[in-house]
Amino acid sequence: MDTLLFLLKNMFPYMIPLTVVALGGMFSERSGIVNIALEGIMVFGASIGIFFMYFFPDLLPPQMMLIAALIVALISGAIFSLLHAYASVNLKANQVISGTALNLFATSFHVFVARIVTPNGVEGVKFNNVYRIPTVPFFSDIPILGPILFTNTYITTFIGFGILFISSYVLFKTRFGLRLRACGEHPQAADSVGINVNRMRYIGVLISGALAGMGGLILIVPSTVEYTGVVSGYGFLALAVLIFGQWRPSKIILAAAFFGLMQTISNSSGLNFFMSLGIPKYFYQIVPYVATLIVLTFTSKKSAAPKAAGEPYDPGKR
Amino acid sequence: MKKLFILFTLVLLTLGTLTACSSDEPEVVEEEKGYEIGLVTDIGTIDDKSFNQGAWEGVVAYAEANGLTYQYYQPAAASTADYIEAITLAIEGGAKVVVTPGFMFAGAIYEAQTMYPEVNFILLDADPHTDDYSAFKIESNVYSIYYAEEQSGFLAGYAAVKDGMTNLGFMGGMAVPAVVRFGHGFVQGAELAAVELDVDVTIKYEYLNDFAPNDNHKVKALGWYSEGVEAIFVAAGGAGLSVMAAAEEADKKVIGVDVDQSNLSETVITSAMKGLTSSVELALTDLYAGNFKGGVIDTLDVTVGGVGLPADFSRFTTFTQADYDAIFAKLVSGEVVVVKDAASVNDLAVTKTTVTLIGAE
Repeated sequence: MDTLLFLLKNMFPYMIPLTVVALGGMFSERSGIVNIALEGIMVFGASIGIFFMYFFPDLLPPQMMLIAALIVALISGAIFSLLHAYASVNLKANQVISGTALNLFATSFHVFVARIVTPNGVEGVKFNNVYRIPTVPFFSDIPILGPILFTNTYITTFIGFGILFISSYVLFKTRFGLRLRACGEHPQAADSVGINVNRMRYIGVLISGALAGMGGLILIVPSTVEYTGVVSGYGFLALAVLIFGQWRPSKIILAAAFFGLMQTISNSSGLNFFMSLGIPKYFYQIVPYVATLIVLTFTSKKSAAPKAAGEPYDPGKR
Repeated sequence: MKKLFILFTLVLLTLGTLTACSSDEPEVVEEEKGYEIGLVTDIGTIDDKSFNQGAWEGVVAYAEANGLTYQYYQPAAASTADYIEAITLAIEGGAKVVVTPGFMFAGAIYEAQTMYPEVNFILLDADPHTDDYSAFKIESNVYSIYYAEEQSGFLAGYAAVKDGMTNLGFMGGMAVPAVVRFGHGFVQGAELAAVELDVDVTIKYEYLNDFAPNDNHKVKALGWYSEGVEAIFVAAGGAGLSVMAAAEEADKKVIGVDVDQSNLSETVITSAMKGLTSSVELALTDLYAGNFKGGVIDTLDVTVGGVGLPADFSRFTTFTQADYDAIFAKLVSGEVVVVKDAASVNDLAVTKTTVTLIGAE
């Protein structure tokens, strides 16, 4: 029981950023633009957010500061993603290449700037991690949910859930969501009824950039006290979550939870329960990868990718 | 055709960045006068609060006191070729003496000592040999310093158990000799205290295969703490920061490594130190006084104050300065001997301590 609680509790630091970034990817792909730049945008957003914390450590009280930094990361991610939008929409460039360019740029940008601004000229930028919330009055005492969600938690966990619900509503219950989805399925048809396809695609990419930028910071803040311009492939993992999640918010959160749980198990080989099983720790370390392969085998057949994702819009094509 | 073109462009892009990386690093600010004392970092950065930083502070202290110029160089990757490239860069940048902290430099210095006979090298944690250990050779321009990490770890383990803890953990960065000695010493120290107090001690023992802070180490440490581990001795450079983050969350303790890490977190009760800063400073002083110990391989232990715990014992509950002085004196006199060459932690003769090795050593 304690082991299970531990696994569930420690799933969140992996799951929340994956969810937020995958939702970002969802908006982009639903509009018809493949965004493999998620990794780069995460790096970039986290970088600007951390620099913000680094330069103004005492600007606001801790929780307000974290929210301010998240907004900074969100805006910088959105601006950064404009590059991808311009290349994909206006220039009708190949979206994979444009995304790759952003991925390559982001880490170098962080290292370059960090080496200029840090006193020792190193790429690790330190920040004070004062954002942990040890307990929440009343809520922490709820059995099971209290220890999992409301003890030693971060405000980002709840922001992540908020984004999930808003995304789900926007995509399926609003006029904008319907139009966005139409542009990703059949842009010519959408155009024929007066929807500005290019504009919708710009918005889709901008939202993905905003969420990915914020997701980068959400990933970094709880786990360390220093940022070196690396998000360890979480942007690509978010793409996998998006595909497992079949481009639907309700399934994306489940996919992210699955990945998070597997990742937690792989680091829990030292728990008494797992040690008593007598399985070598290397088995646990391969769990996430083997699980991914197995799930992929079962889900790949019924992929529900937006039909027009990855194709530049050509009004003359039918 | 279009796909081919795309593929070609991608390959070009990737190649472009790869070459860009290798020419960017190791990077150094170019200046006319050059830098007389150079330091090449091992895995990790100059501000790792641990190994590299300890050595670097020795360089800075000596150079500042004597008005000399100094600079550090970060190799592009952790390989002998990259280390040699960084050493070459340091020498081209005017270095007359190069400090190389780390076991991984053994192969690079083996080559460099004959390539640059006019340059002196201070090699920490290693003596020069080929990467496959087939040939050992130390020239008169190299001074090798080893530390008795097993004694330092021993003191930390002894203090922790004497302080009333019976459920401990050890996380090493990698199973390299210096880290292994820390861990083995820690187990033996805990064992001696357990025998003296007649209690049973358990130690979880694992290598992280990493020296960088990240979420995985934090989760691992949280897991250990959640199941009763009271203090984790983390000999893993920057990865220690993640363990400290976990300790703060779980309200448990950490034992630091290499340098006094008590300022990093309230959870650090003590640190198993090795005298990196003082030994580098001393070696540089000797060098500039014309007494460079070229060709010498030294092991600095308790008898010369090369290893030990920091003087502040206020974060212990019962363990005091007097207890520390007593056990320290026993190490100096040889009454207590710490084994340092056991093949595995499981080969250590312990009766009151149960070591659970997770993974392999």
